[in-house]
Amino acid sequence: MIEVRGLTKRYGDVLAVDDLTFDVEPGKVTGFLGPNGAGKSTTMRMMLGLDRPTSGTAVVNGRPFTAYGEPLHEVGALLDAGAVHPGRTGRNHLRVAARSNGIPVNRVDEVIEQVGLGSAARRPIKGYSLGMRQRLGIAAALLGDPRVVLFDEPINGLDLDGVRWIRQLLRRLADEGRTVLVSSHLMSEMQQTADRLVVIGRGRLIADATTKELLAGLGHRQVRVRTTEPGLLVSRLQQQGRPARRVDDHELLVEDSTAVQVGDLAHSWGIPLHHLSDLEQSLEQAFLELTSDSVEFHGAQDTTPQQTQEVAR
Amino acid sequence: MSATRTVGTPTMGAAAVPVARLFARTCAAEWTRLWTAKATWWFLAAAAVTMVGLGTVAGFDAGGDPGSAQGDPAWAAAEFTAMPAQFALLALALLTVTSDYATGGIVPALQWTPRRGVLFAARTVVAAGTATLAGVLFALGASVAGYLAARPVLTLPLDVGADVLGTVAFVFGCGTLLAVGLGFLLRNTAGSLVSVFLLILVLPLLLPQFGYGWLTDVADRLPGTCALFLLVGEPTRPGITETSSVVTMLFWAATALVLGWLRLVREDANR
Repeated sequence: MIEVRGLTKRYGDVLAVDDLTFDVEPGKVTGFLGPNGAGKSTTMRMMLGLDRPTSGTAVVNGRPFTAYGEPLHEVGALLDAGAVHPGRTGRNHLRVAARSNGIPVNRVDEVIEQVGLGSAARRPIKGYSLGMRQRLGIAAALLGDPRVVLFDEPINGLDLDGVRWIRQLLRRLADEGRTVLVSSHLMSEMQQTADRLVVIGRGRLIADATTKELLAGLGHRQVRVRTTEPGLLVSRLQQQGRPARRVDDHELLVEDSTAVQVGDLAHSWGIPLHHLSDLEQSLEQAFLELTSDSVEFHGAQDTTPQQTQEVAR
Repeated sequence: MSATRTVGTPTMGAAAVPVARLFARTCAAEWTRLWTAKATWWFLAAAAVTMVGLGTVAGFDAGGDPGSAQGDPAWAAAEFTAMPAQFALLALALLTVTSDYATGGIVPALQWTPRRGVLFAARTVVAAGTATLAGVLFALGASVAGYLAARPVLTLPLDVGADVLGTVAFVFGCGTLLAVGLGFLLRNTAGSLVSVFLLILVLPLLLPQFGYGWLTDVADRLPGTCALFLLVGEPTRPGITETSSVVTMLFWAATALVLGWLRLVREDANR
């Protein structure tokens, strides 16, 4: 269990983390979402005692992380996979960790096998790909068989096989009753993996809910319809108070309705339908809606209207 | 963890770990960290070659001119070879600290040992202790090499040896502690190395050259001047004594360590 209370971090005039309060419960995968510069990494660094909070507290299983003498038995974390000495071998990197926490060296070989580093573990880290460094960082986090794990962007640099492996690992760790906090900028990934989501923007808490609640609470229902009579259907629907708009010659989107409702109405009016489906709200859409006011750095946007974006909305 | 299972009650991490055990384990980890870096062996090799090599050359020199050196103790080789070789050992101690900031390795280090005072103490003891012990062994090697190369001109009296090796250990110990402290304080290899070179080599030689009394006084209170005096008895200026040199070196080492410790325990890990 991780408890964050009023956590705040200020760098000069910049408020990186602003009065964050949330819990990360055991037995669940909690996704930590936010745009670039939202303060996710700073928050995780404060949880791990690396950065001093300006105010507020973060405790892990009832005590500050810095109170743990041999924390690897309780908390395992991967923050920055590149933060390793490039000349040391992966195995020696893990041996340092093991020695510092009184963990037997044979456990090092176990986690090396567990994360799939294998023979590469005896090679200098400078020859590792980013994905291999991520695996090494995860091996270090799992070394002490901790009850709490924190991973900052763990799937960065991983191939598809690695992503699937991480997904299964996170699931298994949570199913074993561990507290799992994982940050990611890949919303689709979080939609598949996380049971609960903590969303922040500009250092402030935007949402703290289950993934299902977040999707259901934010999305307005939409129905995609293809018909040979789009003009007639739009006007009839609008007469019924159901906003609808044409997407192309044969397709339209109906707002705040379900496929069942639109199908029944079209049937009653004798309008033939060739396609009828509810549009599922994606976490990505939900995330963009939530954080649209708190994105610090915007890229230049193409102002040309795009059909796919229209459909998605 | 290959099969799904349930994690249980708090383990060792939550228990109060005795500080002595924690310190011992952190020292063990620091030792592993030290010897698994190639740079460590390069610096040690450089110091060894410099000291034993110069000691051997000096021995052959003395052996070739037996009249002037007859009966002199070969321990002198330890003292004069320590001056150039100390830079390799200072760099070793310094890089043990600053390389962790350069690579970002301080982040996992503090995740594994979040009690910063323990990490500071262990890293200081292991880095400075290893460099100092190695330096003393190389000093012994330089003296023995000089003795053998000059045989039978030079002598190797044990009482003189203990005194000389003790001085070498003190100079190397204070120097490496200064380097470690500066490393923790500045967190930057280039800045720390330049500072060490200025304090140990450049300023002690340069400041007296200007001819101002106060600049010479400043030079006399620099660690490099005191190290030179303790090792070879120079420079012979009124303000420099064995006691003043010992106190000055201890002061510099302690000041750097306190400032470095304060930065480590008070500031963010690597911002």
